[in-house]
Amino acid sequence: MIKSAQRLLSSEYLILILCALYFTAMAPFVDGFASMGNLGNIFIYMLPLLVVATGQTIVLITAGIDLSVTSIIALASVTGAMVINGETGALAGSALATPVGILIMLAVGAAIGLLNGLLITQFRMPPFIVTLTTMMFFSGFAIWLTKSKSIYGFPSSFLIFGKNIWLAGAVTLIVALVGHFLLTRTLLGRWLYAVGHNPKAALISGVPVNRVLVLTYVVCGLCAGVAAVLISGRLETGSPVHWRNNLLDIIGATVIGGTSLYGGRGKVLWTFFGVLFLTLIDNSLNLLNLSHFTIMMVKGGVILAAALLDSVRNRMGGRT
Amino acid sequence: MKRLLLLPFALIACLAFTGCGPSDSSSDSAAPGEKQLTVGVAFETLQTEYWVAGFDAIKAELKKRNIKVLEAISDSDANRQLEQIKSFVTRKVDGIIMVPKDAKTCIPAIRAANEAGIPIVLFNRVADRSDVKFVGVQADNAALTEETVKFMVEEARKTGKKHKAMLIMGDLGDLNAIGRRDGFDAAVKGNEDVVEVVARVPSEWNQEKAQAGVVNALQANPDISFIFTSSDFLFPSIVSALKSSGKYHKIGEEGHVILGGFDGDATAWQMMSDGYLDATGVQDVYFEAEASVQAILDLLEEKEVAELINDPGFVIHQGNKDEMKERMWGFIVSKQQVGDQ
Repeated sequence: MIKSAQRLLSSEYLILILCALYFTAMAPFVDGFASMGNLGNIFIYMLPLLVVATGQTIVLITAGIDLSVTSIIALASVTGAMVINGETGALAGSALATPVGILIMLAVGAAIGLLNGLLITQFRMPPFIVTLTTMMFFSGFAIWLTKSKSIYGFPSSFLIFGKNIWLAGAVTLIVALVGHFLLTRTLLGRWLYAVGHNPKAALISGVPVNRVLVLTYVVCGLCAGVAAVLISGRLETGSPVHWRNNLLDIIGATVIGGTSLYGGRGKVLWTFFGVLFLTLIDNSLNLLNLSHFTIMMVKGGVILAAALLDSVRNRMGGRT
Repeated sequence: MKRLLLLPFALIACLAFTGCGPSDSSSDSAAPGEKQLTVGVAFETLQTEYWVAGFDAIKAELKKRNIKVLEAISDSDANRQLEQIKSFVTRKVDGIIMVPKDAKTCIPAIRAANEAGIPIVLFNRVADRSDVKFVGVQADNAALTEETVKFMVEEARKTGKKHKAMLIMGDLGDLNAIGRRDGFDAAVKGNEDVVEVVARVPSEWNQEKAQAGVVNALQANPDISFIFTSSDFLFPSIVSALKSSGKYHKIGEEGHVILGGFDGDATAWQMMSDGYLDATGVQDVYFEAEASVQAILDLLEEKEVAELINDPGFVIHQGNKDEMKERMWGFIVSKQQVGDQ
């Protein structure tokens, strides 16, 4: 019995099984939950969350954390919007607007990621403090830059990245596959897990720990930049407060999936399961017409349970 | 440990099956043969008295007409609000009343309602006009603010002195805030001999930011004696800053700062009846709620409905407060609060 419980808790498909059970249990009671329209809503809502959670997964594997991802999304969104919007943008009406806008958003993400990585490695500051302060700084900067206004008027060729379910899905799939490939098929991936398990041992073994960490935060920032493209396209707006309240969802989905807060364990596939589970809960409780505050309490409880499970697995000497 | 993992799952199941906490204000079911209408009400926030009063007024109006209500609060998250509107569409509501987060990020949500053929009304805060269709119900923020501030300017003129003025602005992503700023400027224009604007505080509809801004402005200009706030919900912050600098005095007392606001909430009523507040522009929340619900019903019957329904509002001041108070929603709310105690 105990061995069965241990096997269940250690299974990498535990969250997927929970998703299936939850969906089956709720579908008969929640109007519209299993309808094609709602499944489409669930899918498209998941996509930017999965993209940014993929980057967060890579950071958590190294026993770090990136709290600045929501500010990266906001700043990337408004920076791109300022350049390519149809009213005041420098590239208004240009055929280059969309590719340049996307590049700008990715560049902002990578640049902030690089800053995070350098501050953590060169000054040996804890990732929590560094990314908390960059979150505050760049959030304020985005609001100052736009005087807290949203920017409308993206070119239609940009909007399809957020609105076309297949294109957004393809972008997300590419990010997830690249993340998966990086973690499972490259030397860098092995280094990431090594640093997460024991950075001192990794350093002695010849792993360039600082370079690995800097790259980790750059990748996380890039993922946030991609998410900014999807979100800005979906909401048709560059906004300095995009996803301001979603940090817990991002980290929570990653932890629910099974990536460890202690480092050394995590997979993109698990993060997909975690994102799916959190989105199913959010969507079903919304359809049940529960108040936003009740939904927050339930999600908080689920994330807490996931963190507890992570702690248990850590003690049980869970898998990598 | 397995029990720990199942605990949140059980909690979710309990909430789902027992209906604990669902914010579904169903009224009595429809008569046999008659389909009961369902309207989704999506608010950006309930963080101010005005929004709470508006939310309650809309629900009461819908209940009066035997219409089922689905509620959603997005907590200032445009992405969440889009999801909530899409959930309403999934649940095939007959109409949607929405308070958008700002004028632009709500456009995809309105479009989702348009594509589903569901009439949508924006309550108190409208969107930028684009290709989407909606009916907006709102006060003429600029005109009502101008009328309020003109009253304040006349009070300033009576003192025979020149006054230094502070304007506390709202979130400039909100068209209402822009309208009130423009109304203030229009009222002050041409009266520079009486009122000189020395401080403009951007509050972004945040009380902490408002307080910090007012404190800084009072430090830089200690002789400010004329303050207009774009929303009455910022008064606690303003009063706190005035008290700490020893400038909170009643009308008629030495050092009184001419105070004016917008909305007409319970705090404003209390300040007015205590003799501190000179005037406030009142939005008629009950008119706006009734007009929003009626607009939904008219659209369902394919009647002509104006794109923008104006709430004329009114200015309440020390000279007319006794005759106008019964129309002021803040007075009604404060009466209810006293009744509850």
